[in-house]
Amino acid sequence: MNTNPGMDGMLEGVIVGITNELIPFLSNEKAVATAMMMQSLLQGVRQTLPVYDSYLVLEHNDMTATLRKAAAALEGVAGEEAARVRERGATLGALADLPAPPDSVEVARAYNELGRALEATIADLDVIQRAGGADAAAADTALDAVRGHLAPRYLRDFSTFTLAGGFVGRG
Amino acid sequence: MEQQLVSFLQRVMPDADSVTISGFAPIPGGFSRETFRFDAVVVRNGAEETLAFILRKNPPAVVALLETSRDVEHQLIEAVRAHTEIPVSRSYGAEMDTNVFGEAAMVIERMHGSGKTSDLFNEGPDAHQADDVMRHLCEVLVELHTTELAKLNVGGLLSDPRGVGIDISSWDAYMDSTFRYYVDSYPSLAYDPAAMVLLDAALTLRRNKPRPLPLVLVHGDFNPANFLYQDGRVTALIDWENSRVGDPREDLGWMVAMDGMSNTSVMAHPRDEGGFLAYYNKLTGFDITPEELGYFMMFGTMNIAVPVTNAVKRRAARENEVFLNLYLIQPSMSTLVAFTQLLGYPGAPA
Repeated sequence: MNTNPGMDGMLEGVIVGITNELIPFLSNEKAVATAMMMQSLLQGVRQTLPVYDSYLVLEHNDMTATLRKAAAALEGVAGEEAARVRERGATLGALADLPAPPDSVEVARAYNELGRALEATIADLDVIQRAGGADAAAADTALDAVRGHLAPRYLRDFSTFTLAGGFVGRG
Repeated sequence: MEQQLVSFLQRVMPDADSVTISGFAPIPGGFSRETFRFDAVVVRNGAEETLAFILRKNPPAVVALLETSRDVEHQLIEAVRAHTEIPVSRSYGAEMDTNVFGEAAMVIERMHGSGKTSDLFNEGPDAHQADDVMRHLCEVLVELHTTELAKLNVGGLLSDPRGVGIDISSWDAYMDSTFRYYVDSYPSLAYDPAAMVLLDAALTLRRNKPRPLPLVLVHGDFNPANFLYQDGRVTALIDWENSRVGDPREDLGWMVAMDGMSNTSVMAHPRDEGGFLAYYNKLTGFDITPEELGYFMMFGTMNIAVPVTNAVKRRAARENEVFLNLYLIQPSMSTLVAFTQLLGYPGAPA
């Protein structure tokens, strides 16, 4: 995956592109308003993405506790409704807490650092390969290991991030 | 702008009594240059003639994808016109004084024919013309690649047009100096470690040089969008800004790459000749193998990837806010996957 630009950088780029390269050429006020609404929505997504997973986990864990609290408050209350609330407290409320997701900024930083290490490894292996001899065969094997890691990554990136139809905007 | 165009045309057509401009409008597309269409009514000795033109202008340097010279492109186009039958727009001249049009620019003839080449593919409205158009396109490329280099490399301007130390004294020198350019450029284009297959490709290409072929003038951006067509014929091969001396297999390789990125199938035509490569081999006798084509798909792609990916890196570093430079990350992913295939990555799709 790309981390520079990452997903936030892509979204920001679209927002800036709408401002600089689209809105100035729109002659219809409704279209301008729509473009600005798109920007607003994209900015909202930008603001949500960094906290999305952690909020889901936080609120998941809080909801289980809330179901347990609600059930406890109805202790001794008769009726089908109260029974259903207690049932939820005993089942869904008993679900284990989810672990907090890692900080996405820190993950991206560590990921990028490892990527640079693989990059440098490719360059080092080339020097050994070009020197020839027995060490070159070992370097070939080492390069295969790096390539074996990279192949599914590129394929995954391609299938995740690209669209059918190819390069847009050319003849 | 119109007054500047009038002055320019009067300078390059000194026999014109008067020039009147109309219909000046931007043309969409043309990623590396800003292009505008216009007509001019030219009066000479009392006779009136309406000419169709295109103004090709450099974008501001900070957002440029490719740093190329309009004057060199002008001189090359006129050499191609003088020494070949290749359909190409006449170039009326280059204006390198940035005070005139805002950036360096050139004025060329606007040729007839459709530039909507996607209509030729995927059951598009002109798919029935695809075989004939691609047959002619192949013949045009062959003529370019078999024209005596000295006739087209005007004043040596196409030997190393980027000024990056390319040595064309022999095929080996050309390849070795180009490898050096690719490898040394990698830090300036690696916007993200995800680009590392480009480094692997440059180093692997250097370790596995193929057999030599004569150096020729390559178009340099021979791709499915850089020609016009009409009635089964190519009416113009366009966009010569990246032309230079190189290996003829580079143009074919870049076409393979762009076919993949553009969802087109130039290389599958003309079908009755077994496809573009088979027909090219038949006409040239070069006997280029599919393996060589794969090699030069990477080699030719690297030539474009160096400046273009550098532009992506500048965008990622927020040196500019050009949307195109960000968008390029998406379609280029198909090329990265193709590289993993060609380099034989374990687990890469066959």
